[in-house]
Amino acid sequence: MERTLIAPGVHLSCDPASKFNRCRISIHFAFPAERKTATAHALLPLVMERGYADCPDMTRLTKKLAKLYGADLTVDARPMGCNHNLCVSVTGIKDAFALEGEALTAEYTKIALGAAFHPYFVDGCFDPQAVSIEKQMLKKGLEDEINDKRIYCLHQANREFFGDSPAGVRQEGYLEEVDGLTPAMLTAAYRQMLRTANIELLVLGCDAAQTAAIRDALLAELACIDRAPLPLVENMAMPAIAPVHKTENYDMVQAKLCMLFTLGQPMQPQQLAAVRLAMALYGGSVTSRLFLNVRERDHLCYYCSSSFQSFTGSMAVNSGVEHADAVRAEQAILKELADLCTGPITDEEFEDCRRGLLSGMNGVEDSLGGIESWYYIEVLRAGANSAAPIQSPEQARNALRAVTKDEVRNILRRLTLSVSYLLTKEDAAHAAE
Amino acid sequence: MPQNNQTLLEKTVADQWQTLPSGLTVLVRPMPGYSSTHVIYATKFGSIDRDFCLNGQTVHLPAGVAHFLEHKMFEDEDGDAFAKYAKTGANANAFTSFDRTCYLFTATQQLDESLDVLLGMVGHPYFTEQTIAKEQGIIGQEIKMYDDSPDWRLITGLFECLYHSHPIRSDIAGTVESIAEITPAMLYDSCKAFYAPGNMVLAAAGNTTMEQILAACKRHGLMESRPAQKVQRLWASEPMTLAATEKTLTMPVSKPCFGVGFKEEPLPADDLRTEALYDLVLSCIVGGMSPLYRRLYDEGLVNPGFGGEVLRVDGCCCILFTGESDVPDTVRQLLLDEIARVRAAGVDREVFTLCKNEKYGQLIENLENVEDSASQMADFALSGQTVAQQISMLAGLTAEDADAALQHILCTDRMATMYIQPDGTAQAAEEDEEEEG
Repeated sequence: MERTLIAPGVHLSCDPASKFNRCRISIHFAFPAERKTATAHALLPLVMERGYADCPDMTRLTKKLAKLYGADLTVDARPMGCNHNLCVSVTGIKDAFALEGEALTAEYTKIALGAAFHPYFVDGCFDPQAVSIEKQMLKKGLEDEINDKRIYCLHQANREFFGDSPAGVRQEGYLEEVDGLTPAMLTAAYRQMLRTANIELLVLGCDAAQTAAIRDALLAELACIDRAPLPLVENMAMPAIAPVHKTENYDMVQAKLCMLFTLGQPMQPQQLAAVRLAMALYGGSVTSRLFLNVRERDHLCYYCSSSFQSFTGSMAVNSGVEHADAVRAEQAILKELADLCTGPITDEEFEDCRRGLLSGMNGVEDSLGGIESWYYIEVLRAGANSAAPIQSPEQARNALRAVTKDEVRNILRRLTLSVSYLLTKEDAAHAAE
Repeated sequence: MPQNNQTLLEKTVADQWQTLPSGLTVLVRPMPGYSSTHVIYATKFGSIDRDFCLNGQTVHLPAGVAHFLEHKMFEDEDGDAFAKYAKTGANANAFTSFDRTCYLFTATQQLDESLDVLLGMVGHPYFTEQTIAKEQGIIGQEIKMYDDSPDWRLITGLFECLYHSHPIRSDIAGTVESIAEITPAMLYDSCKAFYAPGNMVLAAAGNTTMEQILAACKRHGLMESRPAQKVQRLWASEPMTLAATEKTLTMPVSKPCFGVGFKEEPLPADDLRTEALYDLVLSCIVGGMSPLYRRLYDEGLVNPGFGGEVLRVDGCCCILFTGESDVPDTVRQLLLDEIARVRAAGVDREVFTLCKNEKYGQLIENLENVEDSASQMADFALSGQTVAQQISMLAGLTAEDADAALQHILCTDRMATMYIQPDGTAQAAEEDEEEEG
């Protein structure tokens, strides 16, 4: 992957990726998340994905993409710690597979740039009808969160964990604010994004000439904008606190338990390899302690896994447990962490985890999605910490090979439980009391 | 189509196919430039295979055996297969569906060793009363997890309405009660009947060759002929009537969820053409380019996930529409009106052609990464087809075929509706939260 600065706050990353059948053009906008515009920025991708100035009608756009052999236009938003990321991407089969010899990549470029820079405006603002429809869709999405109890439990735990901190901004939007959003507010949020975002253009699967054409087209768009890119928010971590236990009651067959831990201080770039191995050992693999002991040996849950969020220095342990076993499961999860911190770690389990991670990293560049995810997270890490280099998978593998047990223990010993969030049946909660 | 493009397409879809003396079908797609290899070992044995005759003896299985067997296959006298994969670095998994069980791994190193783990664990089943009892706890937890999924409850509820006796009525994982009936003899009988190489497919895509895969097969005795087991699947007769026209249950969801199912005539096992045709018909009626989808979306009558799907397995074919709506009966009526309109007027020719375009793109996309590539090969091979045949078949489908199909599918006398109503607790939580805020 080659990465070059093509304008202030704008980078091009490209990989010809000739082995793939498809190509992908992505324009990432990254900027600090703000409480006051969070709901507008959550609505923005829905409205942008419906159509753009040259193709304002949603159905016409769907037909246009279908004609390009089912090319995919996606506009999505993702939280990245205290920063927000909106991505416009078009993915489709390469020109060589076109049945009628169509110049598909040129069309993909027009669609991506059209969706990103030329929304369909009426009187200088987003189309009021489109905004009205997509507000309903956003509301439905926010209301539906509770249907998937596993996700709902994680979100609730995060809300408790981050509270009013910048990482606590609900980047998926605030339900109670959706009705009040106007096309003018949405347009202001969009213009703010164009002006202040760090932009990463990722071009995968295109040849040099196609890539240059896409780059030039993007630069032409940016020339019309008064750009003032803001620095991204640095990595953060919540301070350690006495654990908070919260319970909500629903008539569920299986209880959901989410435990959030903090590192207490921002994760440093040089800790990343040890963090990866720590997660594989603790709960991120089928050879981890949580999988082998809490699930397989103790049968306390069907799933029990850990994951680490480097932007916020936090670790989540998610599990689905019997209502009556929730307290026992929490104790078992804490015990496995304590055992890793103070007890023996065998060479065999350590090397098994390392081997599994190395093998997975070997395959990162075998899919368009894998390449994009890897490099874009690396770009954001670098953006959020000036000391962080952008690592290739090969560099990350070398770093992983050098990690010691002590380095892994040092990471795990820093993690302290802050929030334990339980969704369970009412009678189970009473029984626990 | 330009000639050079034709050549590229032929090269891209080409896979190597061999049937070994043991009866095993082996498919390989070498993918130059890739580091990974994805391997799938699949058997035509799924949750619907509950009754069969094995060498003259009738066997009845409780619900959930295929899935239970999948879990147990990872364990033998030497220990756990995951522990063996840990020595190779491969990322392994397995899944069971209504009509198949698949064991798979992705490896970027020590491919031979990982192949040995896969072929060894599936080729040497080992079950005892004790190991079965141990697994019942974990699978019981898995069953409970799915019990809390409104999407899954909708689908299973529709099957209970549409079918009187077809085993698709039962959950893939069974119930806590049904898996308690499982014995080692049932698992060994299932292996004898359905894990014979002649009932299986081994598909590999990525950084490998046919020679490497065949060498692994040889190490595991799969190049030698095996005595054929006499196996006959037994099906209870299933009338074309419904078991129930409607079913409702309550769950802690925010909005009502609903499903509309249509019972169709079962399709022959190798008839992928009709399945593809039904799929295109659905795209014309409720797909993203249809007027109905646009109306439902713009009027906020459904969630964005609303859509239709065709489900077909031995002895069963049905078309299901599922989604979430405050007004499910209104949506159902709009759906029925649109089906009637398209049946009378014919499918939109432009949309039909565009849907075919999309399917072509999807087939090409699925050849791009090692996982999809191996999965697609295995899926088609289990029905005796190749990707190239699928592309040719797709090209041959016409709008007139769709019009003809619509005359006998999606009939209201074979329609059932399933509702999941909010139990009230999800809304209560929202209100509480607002009060606190």
